[in-house]
Amino acid sequence: MDRVKVRICLGTACFVQGGADLLLFEDFLAPELLEKCDIEASPCLNQCRIGNGIAPYVEINGIIHDNVDQDKLIKLLQEAVNAGN
Amino acid sequence: MNNVFIDVDYAQIYKHGQKIGGDVFLLSRNPENHQIVATLSDGLGSGVKANVLASLTAHMAHKLSFSPIDLNHSAKIIMDTLPVCKERKISYSTFTIADVHYNDDNTDIELSLIEYDNPLALRFHGSENIPIERVKTTLHRSGAFKEEVVSSSHMTLGVNDRLIMFSDGVTQSGLGLGLPLGWRLDGVRKFVTEVIDKNPDISSRELSRMIVQRANSYDGYSSKDDITCVVIYIRRPRRTLIVTGPPFTKEADEILGEKIREFDGKKIVSGGTTAQIVSRVLGKKLTIDMKCWSKDVPPSSKMEGIDLVTEGMLTLSQVAKILEKRLNVADLPNDPAKKFVEILLDSDQVHFLVGTKINEAHQDPNIPVEIGIRRTIIGRLRNALEEIYLKETSQEYL
Ligand code: FES
Repeated sequence: MDRVKVRICLGTACFVQGGADLLLFEDFLAPELLEKCDIEASPCLNQCRIGNGIAPYVEINGIIHDNVDQDKLIKLLQEAVNAGN
Repeated sequence: MNNVFIDVDYAQIYKHGQKIGGDVFLLSRNPENHQIVATLSDGLGSGVKANVLASLTAHMAHKLSFSPIDLNHSAKIIMDTLPVCKERKISYSTFTIADVHYNDDNTDIELSLIEYDNPLALRFHGSENIPIERVKTTLHRSGAFKEEVVSSSHMTLGVNDRLIMFSDGVTQSGLGLGLPLGWRLDGVRKFVTEVIDKNPDISSRELSRMIVQRANSYDGYSSKDDITCVVIYIRRPRRTLIVTGPPFTKEADEILGEKIREFDGKKIVSGGTTAQIVSRVLGKKLTIDMKCWSKDVPPSSKMEGIDLVTEGMLTLSQVAKILEKRLNVADLPNDPAKKFVEILLDSDQVHFLVGTKINEAHQDPNIPVEIGIRRTIIGRLRNALEEIYLKETSQEYL
């Protein structure tokens, strides 16, 4: 099974609008979920300047998601893991 | 910017139990005249009386040094003004004056030294002690018990030279305790050689601190006298480059890369987009360090050849806040702003390379206005660095 590739945006726009909360992922993601994901950060996913959504942005397996909070991230990762199974 | 930096600092411990010092150190920099004057005076006794006497002497010495009067003549004027203690028939206070003149690019640093009754100053090139040739003038004042000797000397200092001056609280430390005759000039000289051998770039602040702390330890941490040490250190300036903001045009990206590569000193890149550009033109990988951040400041990144890579606006405004409020670095959370401030405080000259392309991200109305304008923040940073921390700063747009 392929691991889920996650990039959390920590650029200025995303960080102030909730990206900082996502950085605590080690605390709020279940260990089973965590170990199936490769989580890294990005200095800017270049979505802020396009303005097609609301920060913070997270990229999961190449797909951009906007307006991500902790709950939404859990949901998205769960879905991605299930899809890969 | 200057290619030579004159680092002057001092450290002091009062006589145990005293809240005011009988040793007084004054330092003035007068950039228009290319002159720095450092004066150390030790008043007879300790406490308030000694402090008043020493202040009087130090201020007089100081004022006269900035006047066109010849330093030797100034010394005479001071001596004639200084009262003589009726009982002990000795002068109420001693002094050492270091009068430093330099030219525009800080090369050819000329130092005149006048010493009266303080322990003799020491000169070092690297860790090697260089004897100072002194010309002695004997004065006989009415009422004075003995002849008084004022010595003057002149030297040309270059990079890696240090002049160290101290009060007798240093040389007499340990007297009658662990050391029968005290630490003495020889002991201090040996200690300084060892310290510089181990740490050739030691700052004046640190070196003076180590000397007074060692003296205090010889006094059993209950100093018998005021302990003061002043260090004048000529060295290459420590430079820092701050790159922030993407260049106005794509073509300028290459120029940016070139400037970063050529810069001799510490390098900080601040801004996500800027970091991506730098990573591309330098061909170096950028990885975010998810361990180092705080609720106010996003994580920093790592890039080979760059000392610190941070986010832009939030980090810069946090750095400006820390500098303006003079927050103590040791109390700060371990985030990129702290690392940023540490690098700045350790520099003599800070150069800002500012990209002028408008970052679309900040046009987003959801973002607080406060983090809006890069220029304002850089203005604040430069101001704080120059006014509060006496650093040289410069700026260039790209
Ligand atoms: S800051 Fe997140 S997409 Fe630019």
